[in-house]
Amino acid sequence: MSQRAVDAVFQALFLLTDIRALLRETAPDHLLDDEQKQQAARTLEKVQKQISILEKELVR
Amino acid sequence: MKCSGDIDVREVEELSINIDPIQAGGRLTPEAMKACIAYGDGYSVCDYCLKPFRLDYIKKPPIAEFHRDLAEWLHMDEVRVVPGARRGFQAVASTLVEKGDPVMLTALSHYTEFVSVEQSGGIPREIPTDEHNRVTADAAGMRIEEVMREFGRPPSLLFVEHVDYQFGNIHEVKEIARVAHSYDVPVLLNGAYSVGIMEVDGSALGVDFVVGSGHKSMAAPAPSGLLAATSERAESVFRTTKVKGDLTERTFGIKEVELMGCTLMGVTIVGMMASFPAVQERVKHFDREIAHSRLITDALLSIEGTEVQSEYPRRHSLTRIDTRGSFDKVAETHKKRGFFLQSELKKRGITGVIPGSTRVWKYNTYGLTDAQAQHVADAFREIAAENGLNVT
Repeated sequence: MSQRAVDAVFQALFLLTDIRALLRETAPDHLLDDEQKQQAARTLEKVQKQISILEKELVR
Repeated sequence: MKCSGDIDVREVEELSINIDPIQAGGRLTPEAMKACIAYGDGYSVCDYCLKPFRLDYIKKPPIAEFHRDLAEWLHMDEVRVVPGARRGFQAVASTLVEKGDPVMLTALSHYTEFVSVEQSGGIPREIPTDEHNRVTADAAGMRIEEVMREFGRPPSLLFVEHVDYQFGNIHEVKEIARVAHSYDVPVLLNGAYSVGIMEVDGSALGVDFVVGSGHKSMAAPAPSGLLAATSERAESVFRTTKVKGDLTERTFGIKEVELMGCTLMGVTIVGMMASFPAVQERVKHFDREIAHSRLITDALLSIEGTEVQSEYPRRHSLTRIDTRGSFDKVAETHKKRGFFLQSELKKRGITGVIPGSTRVWKYNTYGLTDAQAQHVADAFREIAAENGLNVT
């Protein structure tokens, strides 16, 4: 059992949901202001971290 | 892009500004989307369903607490979640209406209210609207008197819309409830367009039942909704089963007859619950929604020949507009005929207006950001100007 992998899957999906919400808030042009860009960057960085965990737990 | 097989990904909300009249208040919050990811399986909220085995007793996830919070929020005594507002109407009508009973509805009642009366064998009688498409206490009193003369008894139930689906008008519920109660007629508030959108205080309005729609106005998945009651009425509408099998002698605990046992058992209930904190907060900022509604309505009214059929100035985000004197004139000669408006809106990233509509149609501005509201207002004016209409 890899609790860490399961947590990472949900965490990544939740973080991507935040990106989805950002796309909704900024539709239709998706022109992000500085704060929204920073928020997107921070969120994507966290997604990458979760993907690294999944690679470590399941693939390597 | 496909979800699976032939099922397309729905990306309407990500790619467009959606002003569909029935969809605006049901858009999920990010919290609800996350809860739905985790609770997609059928009986997902039932892992910790312990004795007495009923949805509103489940503590993990905190469904019992959610029920208490909902009741408190609406200033009512008891609440149950139901699969859509219509199931709330059905439960109340089934409890209070006997065959042949007159039941008071309004000229703006939703068809599901009528059908719930029909199921119970009731006879609908409607309260008319005034010249502003509003239902008034005077009209309600007049109609109850007429019913008394016709049937020799008052209606067994009165349905009243807080905000109706046709015009998005706010009706004088408190006064209507007072009149109805003077004839001992119980009152059901149809809050499908108000609960979760604006503050609703069932106690202050003096109603016996409040029905709300999760998927229409509480940022929840469909089908979801709620039925709230005063303690006096809760006893009957939430009565528990007494039935017994003649061979097995089985009985069925405290399942509630009108609810057919448990109601929302997966994404519907967790979606409602996850959105609830945001919903509680957003109703406090209804003034912002009104500002957006007025901005867009005023932009439409700045186009010569356009009239608003809803009450004005707007007090709700759902609006019925008459563009027979403006966009419909364009449609007469446009190569896309009546589809030109939807096509022009689509080019500007706006969706939700029924394709082909250029005469009388509805839109809902709920949940837009300031920038999105301005974008929609500018788009209507721009489309009008580009098609030779006068814009002031």
